[in-house]
Amino acid sequence: MELDQLERNTSVEEAKTKDKTKPYLTALIGWSLEAIEAASRMNRPFVVVGPPDFESYAKKHDLQFVGWDFSKLNESSDNLYKQLEALGVELAVPLYEECVEWAGALNARFRQDPRIFNRSWLLRDKGMMKRKAQIAGIKVGVFEEARTKDDVKRFLERVNQALLKLDGDHFDPIHVKPLDKAGSVGHLAIDTVDDIDQLEDVDFPLLMESHLDGQEFSCEAFVHKGKVQFLNITEYIRLGYSNFVPASPSLQEKRPLIEKAVQQLVDAFEIEYGVIHPEYFIMPDGTLHFGEVAARVPGGHIFDLIERAYGFSAYEAQILCSDPNTTQEEINEFFPSADDFKGYAGCLMVHPEIDYVEDLNIPEELEQHPYFEKHDMFTPPQGKVAERVGFGNHYGTIFMFGKDSDEMTDLLKLYEQYNFYR
Amino acid sequence: MAQPTIIVVERFEKALETLDQAPPFAKARYQTDVYQEANRLIEMEEGFEHLFQYAHRFESAGVFQDGPWEDAEKLQAPLVAGSLKAKGLPMIIEVLSELRMLAIAKEIYQNPNVPAQMAEDFLNEVMALNLNLLFPNSSESDRIEKHENDEKASELFQFLASYLSTNELTKTLIYEIERLTAQRPIMIKRVVSMIKMAKGMLDTDLDEEHKNELRGFIAAIEGPSPLSEQYTDVNAYRLRLKDLSRGELISESVALAKSMRETGLVAPHHATLVRFLTKRMPGILPYALQLNSKGIANLEENNELVMQLIKAAIFPATRQSIYGLALMLERGVLSSSPVAPGLRRLIELDIRADVRSALYQSSQNGEGLTANSILVAGTISVLGQPLGVGQGFNPTCQAARGISLWAQHAPGFLLEIIPRAARDGDIDFTFEGASIHSKNLSGGLAPDLHTELDPVSLVLVPHLDRIYSEMMARVALRGEDGHRWVNPAFYGNWVQKGFSTVIDPITGYIHDYPGFVRLFYATHHPEYNDDYEMIYPNPVGIFITNVHGKLLGFHAVSIIRIDTDPSGEYRIYFYNPNNDGSQNWGQNIEPSVTGNGEQEGESSLLFHEFTSRIYAFHYNPYEQGEAYAVDAQLVQKTQNLAKESWGKDYTWI
Repeated sequence: MELDQLERNTSVEEAKTKDKTKPYLTALIGWSLEAIEAASRMNRPFVVVGPPDFESYAKKHDLQFVGWDFSKLNESSDNLYKQLEALGVELAVPLYEECVEWAGALNARFRQDPRIFNRSWLLRDKGMMKRKAQIAGIKVGVFEEARTKDDVKRFLERVNQALLKLDGDHFDPIHVKPLDKAGSVGHLAIDTVDDIDQLEDVDFPLLMESHLDGQEFSCEAFVHKGKVQFLNITEYIRLGYSNFVPASPSLQEKRPLIEKAVQQLVDAFEIEYGVIHPEYFIMPDGTLHFGEVAARVPGGHIFDLIERAYGFSAYEAQILCSDPNTTQEEINEFFPSADDFKGYAGCLMVHPEIDYVEDLNIPEELEQHPYFEKHDMFTPPQGKVAERVGFGNHYGTIFMFGKDSDEMTDLLKLYEQYNFYR
Repeated sequence: MAQPTIIVVERFEKALETLDQAPPFAKARYQTDVYQEANRLIEMEEGFEHLFQYAHRFESAGVFQDGPWEDAEKLQAPLVAGSLKAKGLPMIIEVLSELRMLAIAKEIYQNPNVPAQMAEDFLNEVMALNLNLLFPNSSESDRIEKHENDEKASELFQFLASYLSTNELTKTLIYEIERLTAQRPIMIKRVVSMIKMAKGMLDTDLDEEHKNELRGFIAAIEGPSPLSEQYTDVNAYRLRLKDLSRGELISESVALAKSMRETGLVAPHHATLVRFLTKRMPGILPYALQLNSKGIANLEENNELVMQLIKAAIFPATRQSIYGLALMLERGVLSSSPVAPGLRRLIELDIRADVRSALYQSSQNGEGLTANSILVAGTISVLGQPLGVGQGFNPTCQAARGISLWAQHAPGFLLEIIPRAARDGDIDFTFEGASIHSKNLSGGLAPDLHTELDPVSLVLVPHLDRIYSEMMARVALRGEDGHRWVNPAFYGNWVQKGFSTVIDPITGYIHDYPGFVRLFYATHHPEYNDDYEMIYPNPVGIFITNVHGKLLGFHAVSIIRIDTDPSGEYRIYFYNPNNDGSQNWGQNIEPSVTGNGEQEGESSLLFHEFTSRIYAFHYNPYEQGEAYAVDAQLVQKTQNLAKESWGKDYTWI
């Protein structure tokens, strides 16, 4: 009897070890239900690497999970690689800004190509990013890194000196932002010398840039083997408040130019796999100015909008393109043509304009509008409004969908002014 | 122009379908859309009916998954009203959860953990607790406290009621009223408001038996005799009394007293009658109070004082004190020599302005009462119903426990500190040789006292609370649980000097729990403690746990006595100052307030069940029995109960 059990046990052990030799696990770096759902839908074996707080949730739902604190960096950081390698992970997909270099480090080990990690730093240090772009001949604004308030003052004055401002003229603003934060987190426009006092010691070092005029837009480029496989253009109505996918015909006209610019960026940054989310300014003369680029899931619900407009899951696309083993056939089959969209999908991110909210008021005309799809706002149980950090924590989102980009633009502009909270 | 209902129903169905299809870990992504569409339906005519058509699918689709409403068997009826009144999401999910319960109750689908009867009981309890929403009336307090969602909540409850049997609901309601009155609280506001709400039930197609029970409670507060029923206005009633013969007065007295004794509730007419009898026919008073022989003897012995007390303190507004007066006479408190002069002093006491206004605010305005009348009436209540003292909405269980203990065993002392507080605005205690004056202290556990309290508590608690806190502060750094020294000093020499606690005060660990249990058995359980009987209440500290056994905090109760119940099992009978002595503590530990040999105001639990919640108790070191003899299985059983409830929040060594 005992002998039987012994035998059976060995066989189980064997089976397990065999399993582990070739699971080809994908590690999702960062906690995103959307990405988890996408990986699960694709029937890919995966493991989630996320903040330890999510462990119990993952356990409850049988998700393979490794708890990791991305803000801690020390000698034992290598443990993450060791843990994942033991599980059979061979691919890391970054989902959030703070995860990009972790995924870079992991992929560098998985593929035994240390430069992958350095490249991921390009995307995390905005000073390095701009410099690299400039070296590659990509048009950028004037920029510098600052370590003190004096640096900021000098930069502001010198930029305006170059613009030939006289005493008493209004300065053109400069923009400062942390070197390593997502999108608009910590961004500040500085118009006068007095504004510099708003900065505190903890804000340094930071990146300073001259102001760029022109229409801002973003792209979501799905890259595989160093080639842009699908390019979406997102039109911003107002940065952080409203945008829609795909861009209106007037911006789409520039598509050849934009495609060229994005491929130039991909080549310069030696990006091989995954998704990038660059932002550009289109100048009155029709040329493009590079703003910045991230290699993660973009904000502004853009992935959701892409899915609504083009009918494919951008999360699946990201995972697919992150995997060097994906074949070109699979990719060709996955992506539609860029002209093949069902309509314009837009969203309006709502943030109360007041400090204390009592009631939610969604106007009937909006709910009745044929473009209105849904919103996710509820009357807040407690009234205090959270302070806004970047554009991430808006109170709610209104989703719209329709055939006419002008109508979409008007609608987004109209309700951007509206007080949904009282 | 609102959208047609049918479109919203379709949208809801689509959202529910999408949620249903989502993998379990991703439900959160799709719940929002379901809540949104549900909210639109809730706002519509017949929206509840439409939602209910889908209610049997809510749980399997994952509508409640990973949220506080996930496990239907863990939901608590008392929390429903709060969610419904909150705006936004909690209200929406609460509505969906009620509809889910209704679907279970109606056996539209089955939940393995919630039988249909349990779901129905839950809904009945929810409605019994929220009668003001089921039968909206326009009382002043309702108007002031009106919430925006009240109308929707009313509609929901009416919808639920249309599916449920009114009889069941009424039974639940009557049970709630019985449960509360069984504890004979001094403050009866909550019971009275429930009874008033329940009046609406009489118009429904309720069966006669329950209607009669309900009528009994309504009569108890509105007029339980034919005459008082006829003359609802007490003035008219008073005039009518003058025409009654002695025999008629006796039968009137008997009727009122019977209702009072059965319910612990007093009708305003009762006060009029008692005052009338005092002047015209004092001989009938024993009938009006339904006194036993001891009470009659005490009344005869102190006839003049009682007459004086009635004249000074018994009015329609202070009618509840008639019950206190009857019990006080039967307890023989007046025979204790300091009590008579102590009470007389209160009648003429020069009450401070701030105390006077606090007392006025506690009683209804416009009845022409003096602060002294209110205070004397309150004192009578406390002396008559020591276990009816409650802490109200304040975290001041310690002070309530003190007042109750002194009312039982040291009425002279109580009558000493009441005038100190009411006249001097100060109470002083000597603690380890140093005197502590409350007037020099600030803070305490309840700096903003909620004033829904009996008059004596209203006067004393602010002082007692601060003194207790100060005593605890003075011993805070001794490395041992301060209650060891503070309890005997605060409550008096009735508290034993031996003290044991289960929490190591330095580490916060649970240390030698079996030893703690054995000591408690050896000092308290009649089978192990060499037959020493308890004489004075023992102030013990307990872990309060919720219905799931989760630790909520610490609480102070007093063990009154330990005895066998009618079925021969040992029970601990205790006083719980929160006046809701039958809360469910989880693990099937549910203190009972009646039916297990409890006297009025007592709660009780089986010996080992109560033991499993104690964290500290006092004992007489000279009266210890056989700790080693306590059955190891019994100790283990108690320890399991402890470990699996509050024990989860502690480290055990």
